[in-house]
Amino acid sequence: MKLHVRINGEARELEIAPGAVLGDVLRQLGLTGTKMGCREGHCGSCMVLVNGKPMNSCLLLAAKVEGAEITTIEGLGDVRNPHPIQEAFVEAGAVQCGFCTPGMIISTKALLDNEPHPSLERVREALSGNLCRCTGYAKIFDAVRIAEHKLAKASGNGKSTRRPHRP
Amino acid sequence: MSIVGKSITRIDAEEKVTGATRYGGDLYEKGMLHVKVLRAEHAFAEIVSIDTSAALALPGVCGVYTAKDVGGTNRHGLIRRDQPVLADTMVRYKGDPVAIVVAENDDVAREALRLIQVEYKPLKPIHTFEEALAPDAPKLHPEGNLMGGKRIRKGDAERALREECEIVVEDTIETQTVDHAFLDLESGCALYDGDMLTIWVSGQWVHEERRLVALALGLPVEKVRIIQPATGGAFGGREDLSIQCFVGLAALKHPGHKVYLRYSRAESMAARHKRHALRIHYTMGAKRDGRLVAAKVTVWSDEGAYASTGIAVMRKASSHCTGPYRVPHVWADVYGVHTNNNPTGAMRGFGAAQLAIAYEGMLDRLAQELGMDRVEIRRRNVLRHGEPITTNQIITEATAGECLDRALLQFAKGIDPSVGDDLAAAQRVWESRSYATRAPWLRRGYGVSVVCFGLGYGDAFPDAARARVRFNERNELEVYTGAVEVGQGLLTMVVQVAAEALGIEPERVRVFAADTHLTPEAGSSSATRQTYFTGSAVKLACDELRERLLDVAETYFGVHPFEIKISNGILTKVGDSGKRMEIDELLSEARRRGVSLETQALFKPRTIRERDEDGLSPRAFVTYLFGSHICQVLVDTETGEVRIERHIAAHDVGKAINPELVIGQIQGGVTQGIGMALMEEVIYGSDGRILNAGFTDYILPSVRDVPNIEAVIVEHEDPTGPFGAHGVGEPPLIGATPAVLGAIHDAIGVPIRRIPATPERVWRTIMQAKAEGKWQDVDPRWERDVKR
Ligand code: FES
Ligand code: FES
Repeated sequence: MKLHVRINGEARELEIAPGAVLGDVLRQLGLTGTKMGCREGHCGSCMVLVNGKPMNSCLLLAAKVEGAEITTIEGLGDVRNPHPIQEAFVEAGAVQCGFCTPGMIISTKALLDNEPHPSLERVREALSGNLCRCTGYAKIFDAVRIAEHKLAKASGNGKSTRRPHRP
Repeated sequence: MSIVGKSITRIDAEEKVTGATRYGGDLYEKGMLHVKVLRAEHAFAEIVSIDTSAALALPGVCGVYTAKDVGGTNRHGLIRRDQPVLADTMVRYKGDPVAIVVAENDDVAREALRLIQVEYKPLKPIHTFEEALAPDAPKLHPEGNLMGGKRIRKGDAERALREECEIVVEDTIETQTVDHAFLDLESGCALYDGDMLTIWVSGQWVHEERRLVALALGLPVEKVRIIQPATGGAFGGREDLSIQCFVGLAALKHPGHKVYLRYSRAESMAARHKRHALRIHYTMGAKRDGRLVAAKVTVWSDEGAYASTGIAVMRKASSHCTGPYRVPHVWADVYGVHTNNNPTGAMRGFGAAQLAIAYEGMLDRLAQELGMDRVEIRRRNVLRHGEPITTNQIITEATAGECLDRALLQFAKGIDPSVGDDLAAAQRVWESRSYATRAPWLRRGYGVSVVCFGLGYGDAFPDAARARVRFNERNELEVYTGAVEVGQGLLTMVVQVAAEALGIEPERVRVFAADTHLTPEAGSSSATRQTYFTGSAVKLACDELRERLLDVAETYFGVHPFEIKISNGILTKVGDSGKRMEIDELLSEARRRGVSLETQALFKPRTIRERDEDGLSPRAFVTYLFGSHICQVLVDTETGEVRIERHIAAHDVGKAINPELVIGQIQGGVTQGIGMALMEEVIYGSDGRILNAGFTDYILPSVRDVPNIEAVIVEHEDPTGPFGAHGVGEPPLIGATPAVLGAIHDAIGVPIRRIPATPERVWRTIMQAKAEGKWQDVDPRWERDVKR
């Protein structure tokens, strides 16, 4: 069957198997930044944005996203021109093996797009579907805060919003 | 030092955050053949016959292979080669592989698996120590179900317990089977071009994997090449072979075709080795003042179906059975028992983690009986400089006590920042810690642990790292190391060590790692050894290169090399800023003179075997690491739920080459330790199947389960390590689990004997305490502190 979607800003017409999940479709297009750690909807490494909402692409039937706007990690930025959230994860030292990182960044983007200055509890909630086996999460929290400030600066309302991000 | 000690950005971070990094599973290309593995239907059975004809007849199937198609020994295993690549006569656990299918696509491969007919003669699966050791129990291996043992005989523990000890505590502690659960599932590809078999699969020691694959598949070692793709975590879980032989065999049978295999999470959990579940019977005796006198320890270890690294894990358990404490009389017996559970092998902590739960738990029981503070009892017993550890090795720099002090300072600062570095003030804050909570059924507790860890393989096992360095035509320093990056930051460590040793900019360093045909052997990324071993090898190679450069520079500057400084790629004469030279210029000059700009080095410190009769050795390990944790929990006594409020982890890492990476290792290790303490457990059904082979039921710590882990870096430079560094990988996990369990014990007044301390187990423990009259509905400390 045919699927019409915009992937990272580009309109695509794809031929897909009816039962294919979105994550596999994306990976077959070479967008392997979207990872698959469980295929059970528990690890979040397959997270992509579907019309701005974070979704586990391992469980989502590709057929269900007809007409949607999909953003993957590759759509945020690349090594030459990274997105501020990607820069923040680098600066915070929030990356170890890096397997969870694309999903973490996608969740962070979804959060900060909607709530530029989230509370600690909101950050925790937003990241609760993303497992990381390496970092212990502390530096991922740091990354979210650094991203928050970078984005606030970039959008021009660089007013100081610093607040303690952990108890 | 200008680069060592700085938190430079890890060199693979930018690629990782943009999704550009290619892990094993990302190597798939259109046209590759798909490999799938048929696993045992029974946990324990004889194989009567295998009929692959129906599977072979399925269109799209390229081949179906069983044990008889394997050209070599068809066996692998890191210590004993007892594990079949494909089962021949018998299956010994549910994950045992029986056949592989090679097909044009995934669906066909899956369908073909269903068409393979295997006739079994099932035996009754063995799950427990009792079943395994029953006189009439069927044997998993010809040598019997007792796989082996380790012992410590130091002093006379029996007599000391009887005659010298004024107080004795005794208990049995059971630890669980744990899965590594790295997120990056086993996956990768292979190609046989008619001459060379190349395998792109993540492991932990490419050169050993090459040897094992060559033996099992019947190839000369030089005809196997292993290249490590990016790796999403390992934690010991990639130490045994995973899919290497399956893709290797498939590639050999289909020359010229790339073959690909990727496990599902369920298959990954069903197939892979696990952390050993131990039953530890511990008797600890002391004087009334809390001084330890004797320990008697008997350990039963579930080795599962195959040996894996079990013997070494048992040894680590015995040699670490009294941790960082001074115990003059030690008697320990560790027995490994085969069962039809998954093989058990390496996992972060490697036997030392389970024993830490026991000795720390026993110290807490002693403290409770003696009415002594849990920090105080540890202070009285931690080793001091120059005292012997369990195996009688003298610890010249025993920094366990200092780690405890630093953890305590951090604890106190969190409550009263004015404490600063005042240890007496910190002690006062500790002593007045609060047990007040919102309600009496919410109980607070504080746990303390002090741990040690012998770095490297030890026990006279050849333990070595090699490195080669060269300046290329662009004047970049190329570093070649066989060591694997699994996420810990090894590549960045190598860059920093090389740049520091040569006085060049980190940007000038390019690392080539983990390719058996390009890089020299460096041993495994395990045993917390790579900073110490590969860091040392890289430094030694760079030191020699530096000497050569100084010889050239000497004639330019006309002064003794001692007066030449190289920093940031610029040579200067000490005290004369007018005289300077770019390293590029120096390298050109060296080339003009025909000086070789390539060196290599071997770092191979020797250890001494632990004697069979008493387990003692003057140098069982090259060096020891120490750490101390404090954990604060809140236990809901009505639901059994435990919330960790604070967790402090202080570790002596020698020298933090990259403090940010060290903190990351500490925080990550603690989180895995919390997982082990509270939630992670592989559960087997009576048929030997893992009942929770997936993240739905195998619960990992999430962002909701861990506090902001407070990592404290203690630096006591180790003169034998590179720039004073030794290592950090495993100790944070080892320290975390007992600290969490100790905190729960403190909160509810009774210990948890079987871990993980799930809400149900905590609740049941409380119920039992109530039944035994050991429970007060209101903790007097709560009453006291609520009033305060
Ligand atoms: S792969 Fe989708 S949630 Fe784990
Ligand atoms: S960095 Fe390895 S899983 Fe998060």
